[in-house]
Amino acid sequence: MAASDISTNTRLKTEFWVSLGILFFIAVLPIAVTNAYWLGVVIVSMYFAMLAAAWNILAGYTGQFSLAPATFGMIGGYVTGLLSYYYGATAPIGIPAAVIVAGSIGLVLGRIVLRLRGPYLALTTLSFAEIMRLVISNSIEITRGDLGLNVPGIFQSRLSYYYMMLAVLVLMQVGLYYLLRSRAGLYLRAIRDDETAAASRGVKIVWWKTYAFTLSAAISGLAGALYGHFAQFVSPELGLLSQTGIIISMVVIGGLGTLVGPIGGAFLVYVASEFLRDFGGYQLVVFAFLVIIFGRFFREGLWGLLLAVLGVKRGQPAVVQTAAE
Amino acid sequence: MTCLIIDRVSKSFGGLKALDNASFSINAGELIGLIGPNGSGKTTLINVLSGHLAYDSGAVSLDDRSIEGLRPEALARLGVLRTFQLTRAFPRMSALDNLLVAGCALGLSQGEANARARQLIEDLSLTRIVNLDAGHLSGGQLKLLEFGSCFMVPPRIALLDEPFAAVHPSLKEIMAGFIRRRHADGQTFMLVSHDMPVIVELCPRTVCMNAGRVIADESTRAVLTDAVVIEAYLGEAAA
Repeated sequence: MAASDISTNTRLKTEFWVSLGILFFIAVLPIAVTNAYWLGVVIVSMYFAMLAAAWNILAGYTGQFSLAPATFGMIGGYVTGLLSYYYGATAPIGIPAAVIVAGSIGLVLGRIVLRLRGPYLALTTLSFAEIMRLVISNSIEITRGDLGLNVPGIFQSRLSYYYMMLAVLVLMQVGLYYLLRSRAGLYLRAIRDDETAAASRGVKIVWWKTYAFTLSAAISGLAGALYGHFAQFVSPELGLLSQTGIIISMVVIGGLGTLVGPIGGAFLVYVASEFLRDFGGYQLVVFAFLVIIFGRFFREGLWGLLLAVLGVKRGQPAVVQTAAE
Repeated sequence: MTCLIIDRVSKSFGGLKALDNASFSINAGELIGLIGPNGSGKTTLINVLSGHLAYDSGAVSLDDRSIEGLRPEALARLGVLRTFQLTRAFPRMSALDNLLVAGCALGLSQGEANARARQLIEDLSLTRIVNLDAGHLSGGQLKLLEFGSCFMVPPRIALLDEPFAAVHPSLKEIMAGFIRRRHADGQTFMLVSHDMPVIVELCPRTVCMNAGRVIADESTRAVLTDAVVIEAYLGEAAA
């Protein structure tokens, strides 16, 4: 079979199974890694993997380069945190509420930025991100500001959190796989490639862009709420732009617009950043540099690089030929 | 039966009247040519008819229904499908997926869309590039692909903006043959082209525009010998 004969569904299926393979590796990892600190590192990586996958829906599949993924994580964490602080709500109430609130704010933001493209979209979502963070940081009477908010835990053992995060990540990955195989996947990629062409073929642009924003925000909100219960603490720092920077570098290094990229990228980048911790602020410099390199030379990140090394060049002709032959 | 009625439609860009009281109508099953010198308003008219531009005054109705205020996606669902002079496709999606987008968006199930897309790919001799990303296709293949996406669901009217421009003669023949067969089956077309031999061969009737106005609307033979048309193309002296 020639390389150019690989259909979209085969590509997607490969990406899906490889990403499940990575998650299977994470599932058996606690056999070897029993150190609570490193389990914690992997749990936080899973939080980032969810945010990265959510951002990938927007940036990788719909072409909407939002700079607010970390913000929706922060919103999710604060929703469940505030509900328990003021009303004693437990996690089974707080987490769905976080998904709904983050999704609704995503929907509104999606409608506001509907007609914006490229740098204008990035700048508007960036302002939104900073405004949300400053509002939470300065509403001291409500949120306790920069002191942060304590969030009740769910489990006693760290391993329970570990497998809860993993289960959510697997479900999310299965959901995304079926979403991308469905007509929705076609429409989102069509909008990413050429919005005018998509409209001329009958794709409901407004509906699908709003859908992508809402879904992405809801998943980020879920990730933030789960993280809040694990860390038992949320603060405005969750919404820092540097967090968004880490999420973007995870997706770009792993592979933008692929199912594997955000998952693989999140673990690689976060674990690497633990090792680079001794170098202080330089870790971000390293990742920023990698993002530039990958963005310029390897559009599909490490995943694309891996495929190229294995000789699978996606969507390129083996021999240039005309249809008339 | 009248399919599309264009009634005294005007559209200005600043001081430039791109469409100036343009009027004509297209009957169901007709294959009509639209010619005119560069800047005469042909593409503007297609943009208006497909909902990509709003017109300033006049009226356009499709099957006795005004299209005013309808977006491109709504018009596509009503059966107005078009190609673009500067070809528009989805470069990072395979040729097959390019067609599936149109099929699914226009209401086919994924199974039906897949079957029709494969048939179209065969009809247009694109079989060898079915899984290739559109961004890797040649200009001519891309034109064929964009052309094909208009026919995933038989449109009420297909508006083709320069489909033959800069296309290899053999690909052009594939496209012309496809248009001829579909027209014989009753498909309605409006064909914009500078390629007079093709217009003469395919279109029984032709509308000629100049400076936003319709200056001739009759049988193709008559249009091409019309003094006003020759003047528009070559200047007063030639006429």
